[in-house]
Amino acid sequence: MALLEIENLNVTFNTRHGKVTALDSVSMHVNAGETLGVVGESGCGKSITALSVMGLIPMPPGRIAGGEIRLNGENLVTASDARMRQLRGAEVAMIFQEPMTSLNPVFTVGDQIAEAIMLHQNVSADRAFKDAVALLDRVGIPSPDSRARNYPHQLSGGMRQRVMIAMAVSCRPKVLIADEPTTALDVTVQAQIFDLLNEIQRDFGAAIIMITHDMGAISEMADRVAVMYAGRVIEEARADDVLDTPQHPYARGLISCIPALGKDDTELREIPGVVPPLHMLGAGCAFADRCDYAQERCRREKPALVNHGHHPAACHAVEEGRI
Amino acid sequence: MTALLDVQDLTVRFAMPRPSFFAPRPYLEAVRQVSFRLEAGHALGIVGESGSGKTTTAMAAIRLVEAASGKVVFDGQDLLQLSDEDMRQRRRDVQLIFQDPYSSLNPRARVADIVREPMDLMEIGTADERHDRVEELFKLVGLRPDQLSLFPHQFSGGQRQRISIARALTTNPRLLVCDEPVSALDVAIQAQILNLLARLKTELNLSYLFISHDLGVVRHVCDDVAVMYLGKIVEMGSRDALFDNPQHPYTQALLAAAPSLARRKSRGYVRPLKISGDPPSPLNPPKGCAFADRCPRVQDVCRQVQPELETVSSHQAACHFPGPVNHA
Repeated sequence: MALLEIENLNVTFNTRHGKVTALDSVSMHVNAGETLGVVGESGCGKSITALSVMGLIPMPPGRIAGGEIRLNGENLVTASDARMRQLRGAEVAMIFQEPMTSLNPVFTVGDQIAEAIMLHQNVSADRAFKDAVALLDRVGIPSPDSRARNYPHQLSGGMRQRVMIAMAVSCRPKVLIADEPTTALDVTVQAQIFDLLNEIQRDFGAAIIMITHDMGAISEMADRVAVMYAGRVIEEARADDVLDTPQHPYARGLISCIPALGKDDTELREIPGVVPPLHMLGAGCAFADRCDYAQERCRREKPALVNHGHHPAACHAVEEGRI
Repeated sequence: MTALLDVQDLTVRFAMPRPSFFAPRPYLEAVRQVSFRLEAGHALGIVGESGSGKTTTAMAAIRLVEAASGKVVFDGQDLLQLSDEDMRQRRRDVQLIFQDPYSSLNPRARVADIVREPMDLMEIGTADERHDRVEELFKLVGLRPDQLSLFPHQFSGGQRQRISIARALTTNPRLLVCDEPVSALDVAIQAQILNLLARLKTELNLSYLFISHDLGVVRHVCDDVAVMYLGKIVEMGSRDALFDNPQHPYTQALLAAAPSLARRKSRGYVRPLKISGDPPSPLNPPKGCAFADRCPRVQDVCRQVQPELETVSSHQAACHFPGPVNHA
């Protein structure tokens, strides 16, 4: 049994365009000590997947319409609010995209980390603050004693993200969700954060779900990858398989459209068009309008995520051997 | 070949608030004696971390930020010496694409008006000619003429960036300053815009001053690259020289930090060159090399003497101990 299993998760939102399906039968799992990369363009549902696991989908307008999220066999979808509060932070923790806006500006970072520790462990405020300082040291913040007494605005972007990581790992969660943890950061700082996350995984044995739109980040961080498009998982496999032999035309496009270092194409392969809005999804494959291989069947029938020889991909063209 | 844009010793200073009533006013030197040349039809990439002064350099070069000293020779004329009215007339040769396609288009104007506005301001052509030009530009950047009367919010991020590009091209500029033109876009859309920029460069013989923090993007678009750190150029050269044979440890660290599909966790990839910490504050720049505190090759001389740009192998680097990665 995997540590965290998401099975046929359906999430809908009520919008002014009516009810839209943000997640459509999403299934994925992550084992202890493993990093699962979830990759896709904005609006593909990768953050909604993360928020569902954390029990942070705003309801209403959101609703988990079906499916299960099992942590060690316990279904989080049906768990009570009180139980979710116990689990959140202690068993599953999340690192958000924007370290500037997810830290409280009027408390020192040491106090904020200590608060997370005191919520879940029965320790004194003094003890918790000392633990917070130790954590800041662990995530590589120089002179952690004085930094713990700083407010978020006194820290650089990279240091704020380190504080977020320290807070997230403060109770040694089994699952750590990192939602685009480095998008607001410079490449050198991004590299430091990647290295830190990998180190923390080695030390704590946590499972990491890494949400990103960057295939380069996937390559450096992930053991397995789930590629999402318009609320569905369209390909899932070991990172090497997806990066070396992508099956779904969207996954192929995502990889070949990166202007990579050491790649001398005169023209980048582009994926034409844009992601369709969720309220305008038809009966067929959501990628059909942007796909070179789309045929009549693709517009009529949603492809299922099935292994067609290499690894699971949701594509009729792959199934029929047309690619 | 004569350079279209020849920037010499450009320095930009920002005044800071006085710490007390009688104290002298402190200045922040955002750009410190930067010199570079951009040939006609070429693209020069300026890369660096946030705060390195790459945007300020470009903005000062086209006089959107006031320079404290230096020369900006554009097509034989020093832009910094021009009167305001002469500069206004020159602006038709120099246009700009901003990073954020959401906030750089007037939400209350129809896109046809947005694209036409530079021609109105410059009083180019008759009303009919302007209208035709807008339609022509719309097709050139891959938009449909029937979208002309829509508002910016009715377009996606990539389409908005196409509108920005069309607007920048209205006056037939020779130099286009692109300030992180794709960093707000998804990768798939990013490729569309990069291909468009590459096509326009050849078709219209445009020159780009291309600011980006993404080395992959710069490698794809640019002919020459300048790497900036704390307001100074630390390494500059042709694209191939810089990417294949970087000499400055900062450039090497940047390259090592850029994510790449070739670096696999499954193969136990460990970054060979790590730099820690953040750049020093530009308010109080160190006496010696600004990179010294993060540099793996640092020696005493680095903290004392500021290195100047000198020719090293095939290009220029500002380092006391330049060399390939495994040199030190």
